Amino acid sequence: MPDPEKRPETTPEKRFAEEWRNAAYNCFSSGHKFCREVCPVTQVTRNESWSPTAFHANVVAMEQGELEIADVAADYVNCTGCGACELRCPNSLFTGDFYRFRTRTVDLVKAVRGLAVRQGVHQPAWQRWNLLTDERGHEPVLNGTPVDQARVRDWAAGLDLPIGGETILFVDCEAAFHRTSVPRAVARILNLAGYKFGLMHEQWCCGGPAAEMGYEEQARRFARHNLDDWRAGGVRRVLVLDPHDYVTFTEDYPAYFGDAYDIEIVLVVELLAELIREGRLTPHVPVERTVTYHDPCRLNKRKGVWREPREILRAIPGLTFHDVDRVTQWSYCSGAGGGLPVEKPELTARISEQRVGKAAELGVDTLVSACPWSERPLSEAGRARSIDVVDLHELLAESLGVAP
Amino acid sequence: MTVLLGDPVLAELRQILGPEHVLTGRADRLNRTRVPAPFPVHRWAERMPDLVVLPASTEEVAEVLRLADSLRIPVVPRDGGTGLTDGAVPLRGGIVVDVKRINQIKEIDLDNRTCTVGTGINALKLNEVLGRHGLIYPDDPASYPCSLVGGRIGTSGWSLIGSRYGHTRDLVLSFDHVLPGGRVIHVGDGIGRKITKSSSGYQLKHLFMGHQGTLGIASEATLKLFPKPEAEFSPFWAFEDYDSAYRAVGALARAGVATFAGAVLFDEWKVDYLRRDDEAYIPQPSSVKALVCAALYGYEDEVRAGGRRLLRIARSLGARYLGDEISEGDWAARHDRYATPLHGRTRSGQVVPMSWHCEDASINYTNLPAVRLAWHEIADRLRRESDVFDDWGMFAYTNGATGADYLTEIDIGIWEQRLDDAAWEAWVRAKRDLAAVTLAHGGSISACHGSCRAGEVDLVPEELGGGYDVMLAIKRAIDPNNIMNPGKYLLDQAYAEKS
Amino acid sequence: MKYRYQDEMSPPPARRVTDVAITRFEHVFEVEPALMTDHVTQQDFPNWDTLRLVRSRADHLAWMHRHFADKVLSGEELLHDLDE
Ligand SMILES: Cc1cc2nc3c(=O)[nH]c(=O)nc-3n(C[C@H](O)[C@H](O)[C@H](O)COP(=O)(O)OP(=O)(O)OC[C@H]3O[C@@H](n4cnc5c(N)ncnc54)[C@H](O)[C@@H]3O)c2cc1C
Ligand code: SF4
Ligand code: SF4
Repeated sequence: MPDPEKRPETTPEKRFAEEWRNAAYNCFSSGHKFCREVCPVTQVTRNESWSPTAFHANVVAMEQGELEIADVAADYVNCTGCGACELRCPNSLFTGDFYRFRTRTVDLVKAVRGLAVRQGVHQPAWQRWNLLTDERGHEPVLNGTPVDQARVRDWAAGLDLPIGGETILFVDCEAAFHRTSVPRAVARILNLAGYKFGLMHEQWCCGGPAAEMGYEEQARRFARHNLDDWRAGGVRRVLVLDPHDYVTFTEDYPAYFGDAYDIEIVLVVELLAELIREGRLTPHVPVERTVTYHDPCRLNKRKGVWREPREILRAIPGLTFHDVDRVTQWSYCSGAGGGLPVEKPELTARISEQRVGKAAELGVDTLVSACPWSERPLSEAGRARSIDVVDLHELLAESLGVAP
Repeated sequence: MTVLLGDPVLAELRQILGPEHVLTGRADRLNRTRVPAPFPVHRWAERMPDLVVLPASTEEVAEVLRLADSLRIPVVPRDGGTGLTDGAVPLRGGIVVDVKRINQIKEIDLDNRTCTVGTGINALKLNEVLGRHGLIYPDDPASYPCSLVGGRIGTSGWSLIGSRYGHTRDLVLSFDHVLPGGRVIHVGDGIGRKITKSSSGYQLKHLFMGHQGTLGIASEATLKLFPKPEAEFSPFWAFEDYDSAYRAVGALARAGVATFAGAVLFDEWKVDYLRRDDEAYIPQPSSVKALVCAALYGYEDEVRAGGRRLLRIARSLGARYLGDEISEGDWAARHDRYATPLHGRTRSGQVVPMSWHCEDASINYTNLPAVRLAWHEIADRLRRESDVFDDWGMFAYTNGATGADYLTEIDIGIWEQRLDDAAWEAWVRAKRDLAAVTLAHGGSISACHGSCRAGEVDLVPEELGGGYDVMLAIKRAIDPNNIMNPGKYLLDQAYAEKS
Repeated sequence: MKYRYQDEMSPPPARRVTDVAITRFEHVFEVEPALMTDHVTQQDFPNWDTLRLVRSRADHLAWMHRHFADKVLSGEELLHDLDE
């Protein structure tokens, strides 16, 4: 029994461990590392300090007074938030639903990053990134060229999309400023199907990336803004094309706003598959490519969405599709998530090279993704192997014969 | 004693490995002391190494060992870190040599049916590649998704389908082995890399497997490959009492079916445990008191014929087939249902996260019933003493195709957060008692994990008798400075007269 | 899969299966919630997450079979052969 006289002062680390104790012990007491070989970071680095197991064990070490946040903050950079570990973990996959208690590595990593920021332990590139995001309302995705609130809808030039309405399309920072052809394709497809939607009045970054890098207060502020904007405009339904936003709107926002969160969130890939099923969209222009599909982590692993993208691909004439099943792909990742490319671009590059290498083994010329954030590093890796990286929405638009 | 590492050593290691592959951070070191086997959390830091190195080649391993040997620094090899007998846990500080980066597939030889890999590779990942050639490396422990080839060699591991394909010792043909002084030798049958049978010289392969890192480090291994099976069959049967299940498992194992890959007997404690949270057993009637399963692999026609034979035998001994869904699901889940912390229950039934301890002796068929009762008695005593222990039941798995002996396993849940010094003492005592029961019944203390964990290790000299003296002599001859994983297997005795 | 907070946070009603287990979704068991009150308390578990795990588990098990063999034989079918 601890002697109350000698009880060490409580530290932020110990208070943190108090909150996360059961979650951390649920891994610590297994420690069997079924997660190791599916973790993209551990796969390429083989460094056990950067493994899901270590991320949990460190919390127990903080509880025991063996570690301080400054000792480990930099280790927690090494996570893309892909969710492979927590899904593959038998404590999720086999008993998570039974106990309503599953492994939560992704949340834990975010929380530790949050603790670091609160304790003033910053990662330099993340700090800069979030500062710029805070200043501009959007992530600085243009490599030096500032992003601008006035230009957040530039991608939609000439499409005559209304502002506001019951249903709006939310476009993530990467797609709005860099991968602009993706939201254009989505908008044109929805128009073709006669599906009514508008754009947001004043869209800010969803706040998800700030939350992932530990800047919690900022994330909440951004979320508040967006929700208020939706409410003010009478929005009931938000269409989301980016898997990262989809996770933010279905996991972070509910945690922030609880019962008051009454917005319906719709994933565009699922909507498009439905429109094809209903015959409201019929891909007919043959696309002569040999493709494989990259399951975006946030769809396949974190949300269990893998069928609809394949449905869409199978509906496109001309394609030769070499599919790799969704379970094999639990161990695949582009390396683009969780702020990793901001702080450690070289590690992201190694992960995308590995991913593209898997595609190359299939002899394909094209890797199709459905996540704008994955497409930049995957394209870079693809160039070295002459593999095109194409977005699923764009591919569908091509087969529907709609203009770019 | 912990060797304090001065900067010159660090500088030299960084020179050998590159600075980013020499880790000195506190978290780096704490995480290289952890293994799944329970240990009092408040004593965690006692087992910290001084630093960790991540070599990428045999040459780098050799240079590290040369340096460590010249400076008498303890070295602990670590691969997957999933071992259950504390083999990869440093007891004297020093350098952890973590070989996970050595994980390349060097060669797949389709004609001789072998492959050569770095020992940091995982068998599941390897089989994803081999599958494309219609081949499989069938070393299938319950830790199949996480254990690595180096650790399989270091423990001389045991495979769930070993009755058909053999265990690690049979499947690893040869390997590059770095001796404590840094010399690299190749051990196999004879000297050949891909030779499966030789009578030339002493048979060293067995010696350099299962030594728990006390004799050096395996860095590259050549493995035996099989055709990927066309068909799998894994019937599960229910019984109304242990004795009939016991008779049935014996009969199945002795049947001599060529595609037979293993049979498992679950006792009533295990069935009770499954009823806590396993979807297949929650709805089973209370008359179900024991289970048996068998697994068969091979060509479809062979498996059909063998499967029918086993079904007939089981039926004649009162077995009730549990149906395809349970049979298929449970067999496919064979890796995933071991270390589930929330299985833990206090005496009042509340859910608590417990660590899994697996005691794994080899016991002859005829002694299984007696060992089972004696072991449960020990587990029961523990639970009466303290709520931190929970009896999770027993399994017995065939070791081989003839049914002579079984990996006999009692799973005990331990609430690690509450494992204070007194409970730990009780636990070590219990482990010693479990091992004593094994020896009293002519068994071996471990079938797969090794036996160098506190408690059990005290009885190893008794188990091996004169062989243990030979073990001491070998240790002294191969590792004169006792740098390799010192403190394990009571091997310090080998140096007693010298100091 | 449209996401609505209220729907996700309202699981189907529980039905008792044994002393220690209940069921809400078809063929899916859960622990008796009263057993998780003293030491470990249950997490917020939206319906989508329960279903994601259940489906992923089935996919994983099917994958494991494929990983070890091309085909799985049915015991029910073989038993039927015995009776012929
Ligand atoms: C859920 C679970 C199920 C398990 N089921 C089984 C099972 O069915 N069968 C079974 O056999 N085991 C089983 N184990 C135990 C464990 O997985 C095995 O002992 C495995 O062989 C350890 O491999 P590793 O790569 O994790 O090695 P580690 O734990 O890292 O090391 C094990 C030992 O080998 C030594 N070592 C490591 N690398 C080398 C090397 N390159 N050269 C020489 N020595 C080395 C280490 O020093 C240590 O003594 C299970 C463990 C878990 C967690
Ligand atoms: S996250 Fe899950 S699989 Fe990984 S070590 Fe922890 S309990 Fe095991
Ligand atoms: S979320 Fe992905 S990257 Fe992060 S620890 Fe888990 S598996 Fe690794």
